[in-house]
Amino acid sequence: MSTLVAQPLVAIENLTVRFRGAQTVHAVNGVSLTLEPGKVLGILGESGSGKSVTLKTLLRLLPESRTDIGGSVRVDGRDVLALNPQDLSDYRGAVTSMIFQDPALALDPVYTVGEQIAEAIIRHEKIGRKAAMARALELLELVRIPSPARRLKAYPHEMSGGMRQRAMIALALAARPKLLLADEPTTALDATVQIQILLLLRQLQRDLNMGMLFVTHDIGVAVEVSDRLAVMYAGQIVETGTVRELIRDPQHPYTKGLLAANLHGAKKGERLEAIPGAPPALTEPPNACSFAPRCKFVQERCRAALPPAVQLGEGRVVRCVLAEQALVAAA
Amino acid sequence: MALETHPDRGGPGTPLLQAKTLTKHFPLGGGAVVRAVDGVDFAVMKGETLGVVGESGCGKSTTARVVMQLIPQDKGEMLFDGEIVGGKDLTLKEYRRQAQMVFQDSYASLNPRLTIEDSIAFGPTVHGVSKAAAILRARDLLQRVGLDPARFAARYPHELSGGQRQRVNIARALALGPRLVILDEAVSALDKSVEAQVLNLLADLREEFGLTYIFISHDLNVVRFISDRVMVMYLGEVVEIGPVEELYNDPRHPYTKALLSAMPSMDPDNRTMEAPLTGDPPNPINPPEGCRFHPRCPQAQTVCSKVKPALVVTASEDGTRRAACHMEIPGSGHSRAPSLEAAA
Repeated sequence: MSTLVAQPLVAIENLTVRFRGAQTVHAVNGVSLTLEPGKVLGILGESGSGKSVTLKTLLRLLPESRTDIGGSVRVDGRDVLALNPQDLSDYRGAVTSMIFQDPALALDPVYTVGEQIAEAIIRHEKIGRKAAMARALELLELVRIPSPARRLKAYPHEMSGGMRQRAMIALALAARPKLLLADEPTTALDATVQIQILLLLRQLQRDLNMGMLFVTHDIGVAVEVSDRLAVMYAGQIVETGTVRELIRDPQHPYTKGLLAANLHGAKKGERLEAIPGAPPALTEPPNACSFAPRCKFVQERCRAALPPAVQLGEGRVVRCVLAEQALVAAA
Repeated sequence: MALETHPDRGGPGTPLLQAKTLTKHFPLGGGAVVRAVDGVDFAVMKGETLGVVGESGCGKSTTARVVMQLIPQDKGEMLFDGEIVGGKDLTLKEYRRQAQMVFQDSYASLNPRLTIEDSIAFGPTVHGVSKAAAILRARDLLQRVGLDPARFAARYPHELSGGQRQRVNIARALALGPRLVILDEAVSALDKSVEAQVLNLLADLREEFGLTYIFISHDLNVVRFISDRVMVMYLGEVVEIGPVEELYNDPRHPYTKALLSAMPSMDPDNRTMEAPLTGDPPNPINPPEGCRFHPRCPQAQTVCSKVKPALVVTASEDGTRRAACHMEIPGSGHSRAPSLEAAA
């Protein structure tokens, strides 16, 4: 049996993103990642880690006049950074689509939910309004909005938060994308609603065989939806692996600190293993380990040069001198 | 002049705060009323941390604002160390010295035109402390919350990070030497690594100053870590209250169960397979009759839609656990309720 080497759905290589302004911000500093079709990669990081910027680059949503983007971004065989305006417009929604944290901002307040979904369908598939509305109804059923026929005619403000989030997912799926980008889509939701939306996304992703990049600051949420995880810090991926590997056997001191700070199972009276300090300002491109100032295992090498990307296994990479030393010691 | 310290007047057995049938309704016009807080009873013992959990619209923040007397209650009263808040023995001004609050938005709760030492010193000067003494105390407090006064005292709020600003807010709350501190989602806006630092700080300060906390949060992991007892609210009412580990390990109210099982599992081999509840929490305008949770409750029976369940002692001999559910009330008419004979 011949095995076809699957082409990755997403291949980002050495991505850098800089925002020009009174002070240049080096938001993303050499990110490389791949995503296989039909898989979910969770991108975990805190504010300013570059996780949302990485995601937005995949749809070219960053303001081009003051953003410098380097490296390469390929999605489904397309060179995203080189798409001309017409191709970019066709690509958005049909190949790659995105859902956001705040559906109230992502939906247009002056059109009904049905009109917005139908508009997206008509834009990508040359069908009439009536057929598009019928598809919109199917989509609302797909995301399990109660009484979908009635909700088709509802305005966003007439819906609850959880329902609006479902409507936004329906809109994102309108043109049958192969890749869904999710930027903290459950962060603003109540706990009992959050789990409903997570389960819905997991099921839709599987049923429609979509690839998904899921950005979150919440480890628990990332574990619920992801196959693999990438942990970002100061514009770089510091550790990647399967969810199991990262949760059971975290290697990078930052990943370890994040897991401890999640408080899962933390008991009263224990002291938390808090990471001291705060993330760096990103006004300079990194020339050493960005985490070194906060790291309790810091060595001279960490401050002298960028840490090595240590390959521990298939798709398991840690950017830390400790991992390299452990590897040498084991050999 | 320095602030006098507050003696323990009622003795260690007297709760520091007792809320009795606190009620706060907001009229919307046209006869509609938001029943934000509807007859809430609870007590906070001296030196303990009471966690308050619940989803949007459950009334946890309104409860905090009423307890702080930022808004007056419509009904009910509060006793602080045995004295009526706003009564002749404990004026509002005096009460507010002894009870302080930290809010979620660290930036909005500081005056942008005051340096942080001036912000911290402001409260004590209102209460008659000299400016010089108040500034000295402000610098001491900055040190205690982990901000070097030499570097930070003269800065403005916009020159600090979110975690640093929240430390300033905590210092400001402590400037008046309060006995009760209400923390309303005080760590929710912080990044996880910074949140852990602030939680450690809060635990240290509680020891150092002998504080009592009311800790409001939507994050059940954080509440479990910091609280001695937990109060669960739903649509303006208390549905369950009890010691933290007992409540987390053996929740009695179906809503508490649902809330706890909605937490992400953190175990890649054992992911959540089913959402415990469908739909969003209803809004507190025209809440359902009977038990307010009954339309979403998997165990609801006829009695639940007709009779409002009282908050009764449950699952404990010593009366430390209470739940408002017909399944816990002997002879309530629910098929899963204990029989009257067994209870007697």
